[in-house]
Amino acid sequence: MKAVFEYWPVLAQGLWVTIWVAVCIILGALPGAVVLAALRLSETRAIRVASMLLIELIRAPSAVVLLFWAFYALPLLPGMPRLSPLVAAILVLTLDGAAYGAEIVRAGIEAVHRGQTDACHALGVSKIQSFRKVVLPQALSQIVPGFGSLARSMIKWTAIVSFIGVQDVLYVANYVRGQTFDTLTVFCFLGAIYWILTALCGLTFRALEQLLPLNRALRAARASAHAPEIEVLTGAAQ
Amino acid sequence: MTWDWSFVLKILPRLMEGVWYTILVTLASSTLALSGGLALAILESVSTTFGRAFVCFWLELFRGVPTLVLLYFTFYVLPEVGIILPAIPIGIGVLGIVYAAYCSEVYRGSLITIPSELRDACVALHLSPNVTWRRVLIPLMIKRAAPALLNYVLSLFRETAVLFALGVPVLMGQANEVGYESFRYLEPYTLAGVIYLCMNLPFLYLLSRFKDKHA
Repeated sequence: MKAVFEYWPVLAQGLWVTIWVAVCIILGALPGAVVLAALRLSETRAIRVASMLLIELIRAPSAVVLLFWAFYALPLLPGMPRLSPLVAAILVLTLDGAAYGAEIVRAGIEAVHRGQTDACHALGVSKIQSFRKVVLPQALSQIVPGFGSLARSMIKWTAIVSFIGVQDVLYVANYVRGQTFDTLTVFCFLGAIYWILTALCGLTFRALEQLLPLNRALRAARASAHAPEIEVLTGAAQ
Repeated sequence: MTWDWSFVLKILPRLMEGVWYTILVTLASSTLALSGGLALAILESVSTTFGRAFVCFWLELFRGVPTLVLLYFTFYVLPEVGIILPAIPIGIGVLGIVYAAYCSEVYRGSLITIPSELRDACVALHLSPNVTWRRVLIPLMIKRAAPALLNYVLSLFRETAVLFALGVPVLMGQANEVGYESFRYLEPYTLAGVIYLCMNLPFLYLLSRFKDKHA
Protein backbone atom coordinates (compact mmCIF):
# COMPACT_ATOMS: atom_id res chain seq x y z
CA MET A 1 0.00 0.00 0.00
CA LYS A 2 2.73 2.41 1.00
CA ALA A 3 4.81 1.39 -1.98
CA VAL A 4 2.04 2.42 -4.33
CA PHE A 5 1.77 5.88 -2.87
CA GLU A 6 5.45 6.46 -3.38
CA TYR A 7 4.53 6.64 -7.04
CA TRP A 8 1.99 9.40 -6.54
CA PRO A 9 3.72 11.94 -8.86
CA VAL A 10 3.45 9.58 -11.86
CA LEU A 11 -0.10 8.67 -10.94
CA ALA A 12 -1.03 12.34 -10.67
CA GLN A 13 0.51 12.95 -14.08
CA GLY A 14 -1.50 10.07 -15.56
CA LEU A 15 -4.64 11.40 -13.95
CA TRP A 16 -3.93 14.80 -15.45
CA VAL A 17 -3.65 13.26 -18.94
CA THR A 18 -6.93 11.37 -18.45
CA ILE A 19 -8.76 14.51 -17.33
CA TRP A 20 -7.26 16.49 -20.18
CA VAL A 21 -8.31 13.92 -22.79
CA ALA A 22 -11.80 13.65 -21.25
CA VAL A 23 -12.35 17.41 -21.25
CA CYS A 24 -11.06 17.71 -24.83
CA ILE A 25 -13.31 14.98 -26.21
CA ILE A 26 -16.41 16.15 -24.36
CA LEU A 27 -15.96 19.75 -25.49
CA GLY A 28 -15.04 18.62 -29.00
CA ALA A 29 -18.00 16.29 -29.32
CA LEU A 30 -20.45 19.07 -28.51
CA PRO A 31 -20.11 21.15 -31.72
CA GLY A 32 -19.62 17.96 -33.74
CA ALA A 33 -22.90 16.58 -32.44
CA VAL A 34 -24.75 19.82 -33.23
CA VAL A 35 -23.41 19.91 -36.79
CA LEU A 36 -24.15 16.23 -37.45
CA ALA A 37 -27.64 16.58 -35.99
CA ALA A 38 -28.32 19.64 -38.15
CA LEU A 39 -27.27 17.66 -41.23
CA ARG A 40 -29.37 14.73 -40.05
CA LEU A 41 -32.46 16.97 -39.84
CA SER A 42 -31.77 18.66 -43.17
CA GLU A 43 -34.66 19.03 -45.59
CA THR A 44 -32.66 17.58 -48.48
CA ARG A 45 -33.00 13.83 -48.56
CA ALA A 46 -29.48 13.17 -49.84
CA ILE A 47 -27.83 15.07 -46.98
CA ARG A 48 -30.08 13.33 -44.48
CA VAL A 49 -29.18 9.86 -45.74
CA ALA A 50 -25.47 10.70 -46.07
CA SER A 51 -25.23 11.99 -42.51
CA MET A 52 -27.16 8.97 -41.22
CA LEU A 53 -24.71 6.67 -42.97
CA LEU A 54 -21.78 8.64 -41.57
CA ILE A 55 -23.14 8.40 -38.02
CA GLU A 56 -23.70 4.66 -38.32
CA LEU A 57 -20.27 4.24 -39.90
CA ILE A 58 -18.60 5.91 -36.93
CA ARG A 59 -20.68 4.13 -34.32
CA ALA A 60 -20.71 0.62 -35.77
CA PRO A 61 -17.12 -0.52 -35.16
CA SER A 62 -16.42 0.19 -31.53
CA ALA A 63 -14.05 2.95 -30.46
CA VAL A 64 -11.24 0.43 -29.90
CA VAL A 65 -11.30 -0.74 -33.51
CA LEU A 66 -11.43 2.82 -34.83
CA LEU A 67 -8.61 3.83 -32.53
CA PHE A 68 -6.32 1.03 -33.71
CA TRP A 69 -7.24 1.70 -37.29
CA ALA A 70 -6.52 5.42 -37.02
CA PHE A 71 -3.23 4.82 -35.24
CA TYR A 72 -1.78 1.82 -37.11
CA ALA A 73 -3.54 1.53 -40.46
CA LEU A 74 -4.27 5.15 -41.42
CA PRO A 75 -0.59 6.27 -41.78
CA LEU A 76 -0.01 3.37 -44.19
CA LEU A 77 -2.46 4.84 -46.69
CA PRO A 78 -0.78 7.17 -49.17
CA GLY A 79 -0.92 10.84 -48.27
CA MET A 80 -2.14 10.32 -44.73
CA PRO A 81 -0.27 11.85 -41.81
CA ARG A 82 1.18 9.84 -38.95
CA LEU A 83 -0.79 10.86 -35.89
CA SER A 84 0.72 11.02 -32.45
CA PRO A 85 -1.04 8.72 -29.94
CA LEU A 86 -2.65 11.61 -28.10
CA VAL A 87 -3.97 13.25 -31.27
CA ALA A 88 -5.29 9.96 -32.63
CA ALA A 89 -7.03 9.19 -29.34
CA ILE A 90 -8.66 12.60 -29.05
CA LEU A 91 -9.69 12.60 -32.71
CA VAL A 92 -11.29 9.17 -32.65
CA LEU A 93 -13.10 9.59 -29.35
CA THR A 94 -14.36 13.03 -30.36
CA LEU A 95 -15.76 11.62 -33.59
CA ASP A 96 -17.41 8.77 -31.72
CA GLY A 97 -18.86 11.17 -29.16
CA ALA A 98 -20.14 13.46 -31.90
CA ALA A 99 -21.92 10.53 -33.59
CA TYR A 100 -23.61 9.44 -30.37
CA GLY A 101 -24.33 13.06 -29.41
CA ALA A 102 -25.92 13.79 -32.78
CA GLU A 103 -28.59 11.18 -32.12
CA ILE A 104 -29.29 12.74 -28.70
CA VAL A 105 -29.63 16.22 -30.21
CA ARG A 106 -31.82 14.92 -33.03
CA ALA A 107 -34.09 12.99 -30.66
CA GLY A 108 -34.39 16.06 -28.41
CA ILE A 109 -35.42 18.32 -31.28
CA GLU A 110 -37.82 15.75 -32.74
CA ALA A 111 -39.44 15.25 -29.33
CA VAL A 112 -40.79 18.83 -29.43
CA HIS A 113 -44.34 18.52 -30.67
CA ARG A 114 -44.87 19.50 -34.31
CA GLY A 115 -47.80 21.69 -33.31
CA GLN A 116 -45.34 24.11 -31.77
CA THR A 117 -43.60 24.89 -35.05
CA ASP A 118 -46.93 24.97 -36.83
CA ALA A 119 -48.22 27.49 -34.32
CA CYS A 120 -45.11 29.64 -34.83
CA HIS A 121 -45.67 29.46 -38.57
CA ALA A 122 -49.33 30.46 -38.13
CA LEU A 123 -48.27 33.40 -35.95
CA GLY A 124 -45.87 34.56 -38.63
CA VAL A 125 -42.74 34.03 -36.54
CA SER A 126 -39.64 33.56 -38.69
CA LYS A 127 -38.06 30.11 -38.88
CA ILE A 128 -34.89 31.07 -37.05
CA GLN A 129 -36.80 32.83 -34.32
CA SER A 130 -39.23 29.97 -33.80
CA PHE A 131 -36.30 27.57 -33.49
CA ARG A 132 -34.38 29.80 -31.09
CA LYS A 133 -37.25 30.93 -28.88
CA VAL A 134 -39.69 28.02 -28.97
CA VAL A 135 -38.16 24.73 -30.08
CA LEU A 136 -34.65 25.00 -28.65
CA PRO A 137 -35.59 25.79 -25.01
CA GLN A 138 -37.91 22.79 -24.94
CA ALA A 139 -35.43 20.52 -26.72
CA LEU A 140 -32.61 21.52 -24.37
CA SER A 141 -34.41 20.05 -21.38
CA GLN A 142 -34.08 16.67 -23.12
CA ILE A 143 -30.68 17.19 -24.72
CA VAL A 144 -28.72 18.30 -21.64
CA PRO A 145 -29.52 15.24 -19.46
CA GLY A 146 -28.84 12.97 -22.44
CA PHE A 147 -25.55 14.66 -23.08
CA GLY A 148 -24.71 14.35 -19.39
CA SER A 149 -24.94 10.59 -19.48
CA LEU A 150 -22.98 10.58 -22.74
CA ALA A 151 -20.25 12.64 -21.09
CA ARG A 152 -20.12 10.12 -18.25
CA SER A 153 -19.62 7.30 -20.73
CA MET A 154 -17.03 9.34 -22.58
CA ILE A 155 -14.93 9.57 -19.42
CA LYS A 156 -15.04 5.80 -19.31
CA TRP A 157 -14.08 5.58 -22.98
CA THR A 158 -10.80 7.32 -22.21
CA ALA A 159 -9.63 4.09 -20.54
CA ILE A 160 -8.92 2.56 -23.96
CA VAL A 161 -6.44 5.23 -25.03
CA SER A 162 -3.70 3.43 -23.09
CA PHE A 163 -3.75 0.70 -25.79
CA ILE A 164 -1.96 2.96 -28.26
CA GLY A 165 0.47 4.30 -25.70
CA VAL A 166 -1.13 7.47 -24.36
CA GLN A 167 0.17 7.65 -20.81
CA ASP A 168 -3.13 8.09 -19.04
CA VAL A 169 -3.92 6.95 -15.53
CA LEU A 170 -4.61 3.35 -16.62
CA TYR A 171 -1.26 3.13 -18.42
CA VAL A 172 0.57 4.52 -15.41
CA ALA A 173 -1.32 2.24 -13.02
CA ASN A 174 -0.28 -0.78 -15.07
CA TYR A 175 3.31 0.40 -14.83
CA VAL A 176 3.05 0.88 -11.07
CA ARG A 177 1.50 -2.59 -10.78
CA GLY A 178 4.50 -4.03 -12.59
CA GLN A 179 6.85 -2.24 -10.21
CA THR A 180 5.17 -2.95 -6.89
CA PHE A 181 3.13 -6.13 -7.54
CA ASP A 182 0.43 -4.63 -5.35
CA THR A 183 -2.38 -5.35 -7.80
CA LEU A 184 -5.29 -4.97 -5.41
CA THR A 185 -4.38 -1.48 -4.19
CA VAL A 186 -3.52 -0.18 -7.63
CA PHE A 187 -6.76 -1.29 -9.23
CA CYS A 188 -8.93 -0.23 -6.28
CA PHE A 189 -7.32 3.20 -6.55
CA LEU A 190 -7.92 3.20 -10.30
CA GLY A 191 -11.57 2.21 -9.92
CA ALA A 192 -12.08 4.91 -7.29
CA ILE A 193 -10.50 7.55 -9.56
CA TYR A 194 -12.76 6.75 -12.48
CA TRP A 195 -15.79 6.53 -10.21
CA ILE A 196 -15.07 9.96 -8.74
CA LEU A 197 -14.50 11.46 -12.19
CA THR A 198 -17.81 10.17 -13.55
CA ALA A 199 -19.62 11.27 -10.39
CA LEU A 200 -18.15 14.77 -10.71
CA CYS A 201 -19.20 14.90 -14.34
CA GLY A 202 -22.74 13.85 -13.35
CA LEU A 203 -22.88 16.59 -10.73
CA THR A 204 -21.69 19.21 -13.23
CA PHE A 205 -24.44 18.30 -15.66
CA ARG A 206 -27.04 18.24 -12.87
CA ALA A 207 -26.00 21.81 -12.06
CA LEU A 208 -26.24 22.74 -15.75
CA GLU A 209 -29.78 21.37 -15.88
CA GLN A 210 -30.80 23.86 -13.22
CA LEU A 211 -29.82 26.68 -15.57
CA LEU A 212 -32.05 25.51 -18.44
CA PRO A 213 -34.74 27.99 -19.53
CA LEU A 214 -37.63 25.57 -18.93
CA ASN A 215 -36.45 24.69 -15.43
CA ARG A 216 -36.01 28.37 -14.60
CA ALA A 217 -39.50 29.12 -15.86
CA LEU A 218 -40.86 26.22 -13.82
CA ARG A 219 -39.15 27.47 -10.66
CA ALA A 220 -40.40 31.00 -11.29
CA ALA A 221 -43.94 29.64 -11.74
CA ARG A 222 -43.68 27.61 -8.56
CA ALA A 223 -42.33 30.54 -6.56
CA SER A 224 -45.27 32.70 -7.54
CA ALA A 225 -47.87 29.93 -7.34
CA HIS A 226 -49.48 31.48 -4.29
CA ALA A 227 -49.69 34.89 -5.98
CA PRO A 228 -52.66 36.04 -8.11
CA GLU A 229 -53.09 34.32 -11.42
CA ILE A 230 -51.84 37.19 -13.57
CA GLU A 231 -48.47 36.97 -11.87
CA VAL A 232 -48.16 33.27 -12.62
CA LEU A 233 -48.71 34.00 -16.27
CA THR A 234 -46.02 36.66 -16.45
CA GLY A 235 -43.69 34.46 -14.43
CA ALA A 236 -44.08 31.60 -16.89
CA ALA A 237 -43.66 33.87 -19.86
CA GLN A 238 -40.33 35.22 -18.70
CA MET B 1 2.17 0.00 -48.46
CA THR B 2 -0.59 -1.04 -50.82
CA TRP B 3 -3.58 -3.24 -50.38
CA ASP B 4 -2.76 -6.90 -50.96
CA TRP B 5 -5.71 -9.16 -51.79
CA SER B 6 -3.78 -12.42 -51.49
CA PHE B 7 -2.83 -11.46 -47.93
CA VAL B 8 -6.47 -10.70 -47.25
CA LEU B 9 -7.48 -14.20 -48.38
CA LYS B 10 -4.75 -15.69 -46.24
CA ILE B 11 -5.82 -14.02 -43.03
CA LEU B 12 -9.58 -14.29 -43.58
CA PRO B 13 -9.95 -17.76 -41.97
CA ARG B 14 -8.26 -16.54 -38.80
CA LEU B 15 -10.43 -13.46 -38.63
CA MET B 16 -13.49 -15.67 -39.11
CA GLU B 17 -12.40 -17.64 -36.05
CA GLY B 18 -12.45 -14.31 -34.23
CA VAL B 19 -15.97 -13.69 -35.50
CA TRP B 20 -17.14 -16.94 -33.91
CA TYR B 21 -15.59 -16.04 -30.60
CA THR B 22 -17.17 -12.58 -30.79
CA ILE B 23 -20.59 -14.14 -31.38
CA LEU B 24 -20.07 -16.65 -28.59
CA VAL B 25 -19.01 -13.99 -26.08
CA THR B 26 -21.83 -11.66 -27.12
CA LEU B 27 -24.48 -14.38 -26.77
CA ALA B 28 -23.19 -15.65 -23.43
CA SER B 29 -22.73 -12.27 -21.80
CA SER B 30 -25.99 -10.85 -23.12
CA THR B 31 -27.84 -13.86 -21.67
CA LEU B 32 -26.15 -13.13 -18.36
CA ALA B 33 -26.89 -9.41 -18.62
CA LEU B 34 -30.55 -9.79 -19.58
CA SER B 35 -31.37 -12.33 -16.87
CA GLY B 36 -29.19 -10.61 -14.26
CA GLY B 37 -30.79 -7.25 -15.00
CA LEU B 38 -34.25 -8.77 -14.61
CA ALA B 39 -33.26 -10.32 -11.28
CA LEU B 40 -31.85 -6.99 -10.06
CA ALA B 41 -34.98 -5.09 -11.10
CA ILE B 42 -37.24 -7.59 -9.32
CA LEU B 43 -35.02 -7.53 -6.24
CA GLU B 44 -35.19 -3.74 -6.23
CA SER B 45 -38.97 -3.83 -6.50
CA VAL B 46 -39.81 -6.47 -3.88
CA SER B 47 -37.15 -5.88 -1.24
CA THR B 48 -36.93 -3.34 1.52
CA THR B 49 -34.08 -1.02 2.44
CA PHE B 50 -31.27 -3.54 2.44
CA GLY B 51 -31.97 -5.01 -0.99
CA ARG B 52 -32.46 -1.56 -2.45
CA ALA B 53 -29.19 -0.33 -1.01
CA PHE B 54 -27.45 -3.38 -2.47
CA VAL B 55 -28.91 -2.80 -5.94
CA CYS B 56 -28.10 0.91 -5.76
CA PHE B 57 -24.51 0.15 -4.79
CA TRP B 58 -24.23 -2.41 -7.59
CA LEU B 59 -25.50 0.04 -10.20
CA GLU B 60 -23.28 2.89 -9.07
CA LEU B 61 -20.23 0.69 -8.93
CA PHE B 62 -20.53 -0.92 -12.34
CA ARG B 63 -21.72 2.13 -14.22
CA GLY B 64 -19.07 4.46 -12.85
CA VAL B 65 -15.98 2.40 -13.63
CA PRO B 66 -14.78 1.57 -17.17
CA THR B 67 -15.21 -2.03 -18.28
CA LEU B 68 -11.52 -2.24 -19.07
CA VAL B 69 -10.58 -1.45 -15.48
CA LEU B 70 -13.02 -4.06 -14.18
CA LEU B 71 -11.62 -6.58 -16.64
CA TYR B 72 -8.04 -5.97 -15.51
CA PHE B 73 -9.16 -6.03 -11.90
CA THR B 74 -10.81 -9.46 -12.14
CA PHE B 75 -8.09 -10.82 -14.37
CA TYR B 76 -5.22 -9.89 -12.05
CA VAL B 77 -6.84 -9.97 -8.61
CA LEU B 78 -8.74 -13.28 -8.80
CA PRO B 79 -5.55 -15.38 -9.15
CA GLU B 80 -4.18 -13.66 -6.05
CA VAL B 81 -7.05 -15.01 -3.98
CA GLY B 82 -6.59 -18.45 -5.50
CA ILE B 83 -9.28 -18.51 -8.20
CA ILE B 84 -7.66 -19.21 -11.54
CA LEU B 85 -10.01 -18.84 -14.49
CA PRO B 86 -9.28 -18.63 -18.20
CA ALA B 87 -9.77 -15.25 -19.84
CA ILE B 88 -12.98 -16.06 -21.74
CA PRO B 89 -15.21 -16.76 -18.70
CA ILE B 90 -13.80 -13.67 -17.00
CA GLY B 91 -14.62 -11.54 -20.03
CA ILE B 92 -18.12 -12.99 -20.32
CA GLY B 93 -18.75 -12.56 -16.60
CA VAL B 94 -17.54 -8.96 -16.36
CA LEU B 95 -19.39 -7.79 -19.46
CA GLY B 96 -22.51 -9.61 -18.27
CA ILE B 97 -22.37 -8.04 -14.82
CA VAL B 98 -21.74 -4.53 -16.15
CA TYR B 99 -24.57 -4.71 -18.66
CA ALA B 100 -26.87 -6.32 -16.09
CA ALA B 101 -26.58 -3.00 -14.24
CA TYR B 102 -27.64 -1.07 -17.35
CA CYS B 103 -30.44 -3.51 -18.21
CA SER B 104 -31.90 -3.44 -14.72
CA GLU B 105 -32.56 0.28 -15.16
CA VAL B 106 -34.47 -0.47 -18.36
CA TYR B 107 -36.53 -3.18 -16.66
CA ARG B 108 -37.21 -0.89 -13.73
CA GLY B 109 -38.41 1.82 -16.10
CA SER B 110 -40.78 -0.57 -17.84
CA LEU B 111 -42.06 -1.87 -14.50
CA ILE B 112 -42.99 1.68 -13.49
CA THR B 113 -45.03 2.18 -16.66
CA ILE B 114 -47.19 -0.87 -15.93
CA PRO B 115 -50.39 0.63 -14.47
CA SER B 116 -50.89 -0.16 -10.80
CA GLU B 117 -54.48 -1.26 -11.51
CA LEU B 118 -53.01 -4.39 -13.03
CA ARG B 119 -51.39 -5.33 -9.74
CA ASP B 120 -54.65 -4.54 -7.92
CA ALA B 121 -56.45 -6.83 -10.34
CA CYS B 122 -53.98 -9.61 -9.59
CA VAL B 123 -54.64 -9.15 -5.86
CA ALA B 124 -58.40 -9.12 -6.48
CA LEU B 125 -58.10 -12.38 -8.43
CA HIS B 126 -56.20 -13.83 -5.51
CA LEU B 127 -53.14 -14.71 -7.57
CA SER B 128 -50.11 -15.59 -5.50
CA PRO B 129 -47.16 -13.14 -5.77
CA ASN B 130 -45.20 -15.84 -7.55
CA VAL B 131 -47.85 -16.23 -10.28
CA THR B 132 -48.34 -12.46 -10.50
CA TRP B 133 -44.67 -11.94 -11.24
CA ARG B 134 -44.15 -14.94 -13.45
CA ARG B 135 -47.26 -14.84 -15.60
CA VAL B 136 -48.25 -11.15 -15.57
CA LEU B 137 -45.55 -8.67 -14.68
CA ILE B 138 -42.38 -10.21 -16.10
CA PRO B 139 -43.78 -10.87 -19.60
CA LEU B 140 -45.10 -7.30 -19.72
CA MET B 141 -41.80 -5.89 -18.50
CA ILE B 142 -39.85 -7.78 -21.13
CA LYS B 143 -42.22 -6.79 -23.90
CA ARG B 144 -42.05 -3.12 -23.04
CA ALA B 145 -38.31 -3.10 -22.47
CA ALA B 146 -37.35 -5.07 -25.60
CA PRO B 147 -36.20 -2.20 -27.90
CA ALA B 148 -34.09 -0.53 -25.21
CA LEU B 149 -32.64 -3.89 -24.19
CA LEU B 150 -31.69 -4.61 -27.78
CA ASN B 151 -29.84 -1.31 -27.82
CA TYR B 152 -27.82 -2.40 -24.81
CA VAL B 153 -27.08 -5.79 -26.39
CA LEU B 154 -25.77 -3.86 -29.39
CA SER B 155 -23.44 -1.79 -27.23
CA LEU B 156 -22.37 -4.95 -25.43
CA PHE B 157 -21.46 -6.45 -28.78
CA ARG B 158 -19.44 -3.36 -29.65
CA GLU B 159 -17.68 -3.50 -26.32
CA THR B 160 -16.54 -7.13 -26.79
CA ALA B 161 -13.63 -5.71 -28.82
CA VAL B 162 -12.09 -4.58 -25.53
CA LEU B 163 -11.70 -8.21 -24.44
CA PHE B 164 -8.62 -8.55 -26.63
CA ALA B 165 -6.76 -6.82 -23.79
CA LEU B 166 -7.05 -10.07 -21.81
CA GLY B 167 -6.04 -12.16 -24.81
CA VAL B 168 -9.52 -13.43 -25.67
CA PRO B 169 -9.38 -14.23 -29.40
CA VAL B 170 -12.30 -12.00 -30.38
CA LEU B 171 -12.16 -10.45 -33.84
CA MET B 172 -10.11 -7.48 -32.64
CA GLY B 173 -7.66 -9.78 -30.86
CA GLN B 174 -7.19 -11.91 -33.96
CA ALA B 175 -6.64 -8.84 -36.15
CA ASN B 176 -4.08 -7.55 -33.70
CA GLU B 177 -2.24 -10.85 -33.60
CA VAL B 178 -2.22 -11.32 -37.36
CA GLY B 179 -0.93 -7.79 -37.83
CA TYR B 180 1.75 -8.29 -35.24
CA GLU B 181 2.97 -11.56 -36.73
CA SER B 182 3.27 -10.34 -40.30
CA PHE B 183 3.98 -6.64 -39.67
CA ARG B 184 1.09 -5.67 -41.91
CA TYR B 185 -1.49 -3.58 -40.13
CA LEU B 186 -3.51 -2.10 -42.96
CA GLU B 187 -5.42 -5.20 -44.04
CA PRO B 188 -6.21 -6.84 -40.66
CA TYR B 189 -7.51 -3.68 -38.99
CA THR B 190 -9.47 -2.50 -42.02
CA LEU B 191 -11.02 -5.95 -42.45
CA ALA B 192 -11.84 -6.11 -38.76
CA GLY B 193 -13.58 -2.74 -39.00
CA VAL B 194 -15.58 -3.82 -42.04
CA ILE B 195 -16.58 -7.12 -40.44
CA TYR B 196 -17.65 -5.37 -37.23
CA LEU B 197 -19.65 -2.99 -39.41
CA CYS B 198 -21.42 -5.86 -41.14
CA MET B 199 -22.13 -7.60 -37.85
CA ASN B 200 -24.04 -4.49 -36.75
CA LEU B 201 -26.51 -4.79 -39.61
CA PRO B 202 -28.79 -7.48 -38.08
CA PHE B 203 -29.09 -5.36 -34.91
CA LEU B 204 -29.95 -2.23 -36.89
CA TYR B 205 -32.53 -4.19 -38.89
CA LEU B 206 -34.18 -5.50 -35.72
CA LEU B 207 -34.16 -2.05 -34.14
CA SER B 208 -35.83 -0.48 -37.17
CA ARG B 209 -38.47 -3.25 -37.04
CA PHE B 210 -39.18 -2.37 -33.41
CA LYS B 211 -39.40 1.30 -34.32
CA ASP B 212 -41.97 0.60 -37.03
CA LYS B 213 -44.03 -1.47 -34.66
CA HIS B 214 -44.12 1.16 -31.94
CA ALA B 215 -44.49 4.24 -34.12
